[in-house]
Amino acid sequence: MKYLQMGSSFLDDVSALIVGIGFVVWAENYELSVDLNSGYPEKRKDAIKRTIASMTVGKDTDDLEQKKLVYLYLMNYAKSQPELVILAVNTFVKDSDDPNPLVRALAIRTMGVLRAEKIIDYLCDPLQKCLRDENPYVRKTAALCVAKLYDLKPELVIENGFLEQLHDMISDSNPMVVANTVAALTDIHISASAQPSSSTSDPGIFNISASILNKFEHICERVVPQFQHVNGSVVLAAMKVIMIHIRGVRREELIKTLVRKMAPPLVTLLSAPPEVQWVALRNINLLLQKRPEILSSELRVFFCKYNDPLYVKIEKLDIMVRLASEHNVDPLLSELKEYASEVDVDFVRKSIKAIGQTAVKIDAAAERCVNVLLELIDTRVSYVVQEAVVVMKDIFRKYPATYEGIIPTLCANLDELDEPEAKASLIWIIGEYASKIDNADELLNIFVDTFAEESYAVQLQTLTAVRVLNTATNCDSPDVRDRAYIYWRLLSTDPGAAKAVVLSNRPPISIPRTTVAPALLEELLGELSSLSSVYHKPSETFTRLGPVGADSVQRKGTGEFPDEDQFSAKKALQTVAAGQQAENLLDFGDDLSMDGQPSGLAATQVLHQTPAAASLMSGMSSNPLDDLVSIFGNASVSPTPAVAASNPMAAFGGSGFGIAAPAATSPPLVQSPTQQQPQEDLLGLF
Amino acid sequence: MAIDGLIVLDNTGRPIIQSGFRLATAAYPLLHIDAFNTAVLKSQRAGDIEPVIYVAPFNVSDPPTACCHVECGDIRILAPVSGDVDPLFAFAFLQTFIDILREYFGTISAATLKDNFDVVYQLLEETLDSGGHPLTTSPNALRDIVLPPSLLSKLLNVAGANITSAINSGSGLGAAGGPFSSPIPWRKAGLKYNSNEIYFDMVEELKAIVNKHGTTLSSSVWGKIETNAKLSGTPDCLLTFTNPHVITDCAFHPCVRLQRVKRDSAMSFVPPDGHFTLAEYRFTPSASATSARFQAAGATSSVLAKENVPIPFLLKSTVELTESGGTFEFILTSRMPSQTLESIVAEMYIGEGAGGVKCVAARGDGGNMGRRGMPDSSSGSSTGSWAFDAKKMVVRWEIPAAPPSSVWSLRGSFSSSSVVRPAHALQVRFAVSSYTFSALKVDQLKVTGEVYKPYKGVRGRATGNIEWRW
Repeated sequence: MKYLQMGSSFLDDVSALIVGIGFVVWAENYELSVDLNSGYPEKRKDAIKRTIASMTVGKDTDDLEQKKLVYLYLMNYAKSQPELVILAVNTFVKDSDDPNPLVRALAIRTMGVLRAEKIIDYLCDPLQKCLRDENPYVRKTAALCVAKLYDLKPELVIENGFLEQLHDMISDSNPMVVANTVAALTDIHISASAQPSSSTSDPGIFNISASILNKFEHICERVVPQFQHVNGSVVLAAMKVIMIHIRGVRREELIKTLVRKMAPPLVTLLSAPPEVQWVALRNINLLLQKRPEILSSELRVFFCKYNDPLYVKIEKLDIMVRLASEHNVDPLLSELKEYASEVDVDFVRKSIKAIGQTAVKIDAAAERCVNVLLELIDTRVSYVVQEAVVVMKDIFRKYPATYEGIIPTLCANLDELDEPEAKASLIWIIGEYASKIDNADELLNIFVDTFAEESYAVQLQTLTAVRVLNTATNCDSPDVRDRAYIYWRLLSTDPGAAKAVVLSNRPPISIPRTTVAPALLEELLGELSSLSSVYHKPSETFTRLGPVGADSVQRKGTGEFPDEDQFSAKKALQTVAAGQQAENLLDFGDDLSMDGQPSGLAATQVLHQTPAAASLMSGMSSNPLDDLVSIFGNASVSPTPAVAASNPMAAFGGSGFGIAAPAATSPPLVQSPTQQQPQEDLLGLF
Repeated sequence: MAIDGLIVLDNTGRPIIQSGFRLATAAYPLLHIDAFNTAVLKSQRAGDIEPVIYVAPFNVSDPPTACCHVECGDIRILAPVSGDVDPLFAFAFLQTFIDILREYFGTISAATLKDNFDVVYQLLEETLDSGGHPLTTSPNALRDIVLPPSLLSKLLNVAGANITSAINSGSGLGAAGGPFSSPIPWRKAGLKYNSNEIYFDMVEELKAIVNKHGTTLSSSVWGKIETNAKLSGTPDCLLTFTNPHVITDCAFHPCVRLQRVKRDSAMSFVPPDGHFTLAEYRFTPSASATSARFQAAGATSSVLAKENVPIPFLLKSTVELTESGGTFEFILTSRMPSQTLESIVAEMYIGEGAGGVKCVAARGDGGNMGRRGMPDSSSGSSTGSWAFDAKKMVVRWEIPAAPPSSVWSLRGSFSSSSVVRPAHALQVRFAVSSYTFSALKVDQLKVTGEVYKPYKGVRGRATGNIEWRW
């Protein structure tokens, strides 16, 4: 529907165009202009026909502007009226001999653009002439025309020796001709190799330098002066050349000089209009991932102004965190705090996140960050508090048992949290530090009571913190249900093992130095200044057709991460092994003892003393495989004994609280091979 | 594989003019227009659309493309690009195209473009090749091939007469004359002026962020040397400065010989004809030299201030926010030693749902001078004036001219229907004529290669754009 509307407005414009052209060109021919404006398509078509007819029979206009507009009109409508255009061929050929260079160029250009097979046959001779024209404007137009011809009929270009002629033209006396010839050659090169190459962009300088010179150092030195070019595109293209060739530079001091010289032009780009700034910032973000030292002393340049557009602010924020170091953390934090009081909610959240990232990145500054966060929590602005709580969780993970003192403050804000992520984070914190919080069970009970109403993320966290198994097994979300079952089985068979799984050491979190994989980063740096460096994705993903792009990325992925594949294969084998073990109930003890956990058999014997677990055990052993399936599959097929489900909390008493949750981000099943082991073996038990 | 064309939209998102898109399907420009309009609908504030929009292809078999766009007056210009191109290339081209339009039509608006359809189409044709290459972008060369609209040509057109200018007849367009015959791409051959003149405008802009204690957090001065050359023949100019060390990070017009700059910081060039920007630079103050030039009006001599350009005024603010509104008081003191701060405009965003703004602008720090009633009734020049832009939710305070050491104040209050969330900052803009922050001084300009003695002029102008937080 939208397209239809757009379409009709476009049509309006077409007629507006005809009005424009019709008026100027045919001001003296009122009748024709009326027809051109006619609301009836037939009449309009007729008028067009007459326009072209008058051209072809030699009623040619000698006003260049009129001629131009008619040609323009022809170019625009050649697609819909090819048979009419062919009538005009004679005029084109005639015009390519006109004494006025503008007319010659116009004729050549129009013929090149029309893309009609029949016209092309007439194109070669005039083109040959125009390539050797005395006027540089005609020469450069002809050079570009060769590229277009190559696109349509490459064999014609080769037959006529146009390529050789273009090569000769690189040494033309006029720089405009040289630039356009290089552009034409690049185009031909691209369509010949049919590969996306990104350097069609600027003054050809780089293509030439890249093809003629092979020494890395030499190239770098030649390109550096281009940093002073006023055109940002040239500056970034120069950066790209440097980043590609710096890999081959061996002299340390030269690398240092080069890197030092890159900073000023990058900063200069930031004084440009916001659009250019944004592209520059995206590229700077990439550059910093490879060479963080480039702008290490320029943090202040990236401070956001209140009226910067949001997209610029967010990029700046990202770069500021990247540049954070012990030397500049104080101004950075006060700046971030300032942003947290801004109007735009998204930006506020992002800046609070940035505070957390800084804390995780710089150990020495963590305490100051926490203080800033506490100040922010004091503001009692709902979204600020919520985001601060989420960020706090990350800090707790990075620095366990360091900032327990602030937990009461966090808990005091419990009632204000209404977003799932914030709630989940707080529950995690409470669960983790349950032993230190006097009223932890009380607090958690609040969440248990409202369990059914919460969103899935909160449910998962509550689950790991307190195990509300009975409610959870009836839940709609398969994830929640699955985890509930796993915990339940774990707890009911072996609290010790369960503890090991849930309380296991989590891998310490850190801010990734790069947002993209190293190999991809290298590739992107080679594509600096192009669209892929803006999207931070390789060009295949958005220039090729969908499935092809996806395939190639996948290929790349497997090439880069063979470990991962092996790992998943191993995991699959383990699962199979575990399954086999499950069938062979008599063997289950052997494997478990290797884990250093209380041996499976011993644990089950202890469990037999509680009636609920006993019934569970007996239920299990009757049909182990079914239950395995039920854990990972659909709860409806589960033969879970109702006795056990009725009161899991009672079965394990207060100890349930002591067992706290794993990180929200990494559910226990996909943690690490070592943790995988006990878990799968335990499942094997059933 | 590059810029596929240009689309000009009016402020309602409807296309006014677009280039041919000859190599693409008919739906292609529509897709981009639609993608852009969808992005506009989705964005909360008008300026917040990412400058490069991803555009999904119409057919699954086509590769997706991207759309770069800039705003200019009441129009938007979109540049659809395909392939992995440099978006800065597109933006550089858009900027050049806007400059060209400005050169041709003076102001750019949907109305002027509609009035000059024919010229815009010709310009599109000459500046952008259908293969995506920019062609002729130098206004000098363009004027040779596309006639700028003039009243005369319009009158003649209406009268049905034919303009027989040199461009139409083709006379004298042999090897010597005509477009692109000059060996220097930015300069026409055979220019003739009765009076030969060249003017340099050094325009510097101070961009700074100041925190609530008056400490400058970050500041930078960006300068431009804007030149207007009306010189006959092919003159070779050499511009030297007495203190070239104050400027760094220069970016030059292609006409400047970089080797010479490297050797002795002198700019040697053959100027283009007419207006152009000779160089852009950044001013990095050395610690002592600049601070001595300012009065010690404020006690902001922190460590930071040493590497920053001092802000030429002082702003004291008291803002109190309540449940349903707030009151504010700003006092601005000029710290310029001898120059007048001109056209000071301070703006503060007071948040959605705010209203009922009442202010008093006065000269002097309140006390005896103030309370002259509503400023719109009194003459604005003596007290400054204020206005409330209900569309942008911005309180604007204007002071036409503030002599050295003068004190200005704005008191006021506003109410708010929702939660009070004003911006914690004031955006202050100002200008100072005949002044530069860098005090860059031209030593001399030598013109060689021609016999005449041109008239030379140098002017300085400083502007500022400062965010002052409270």
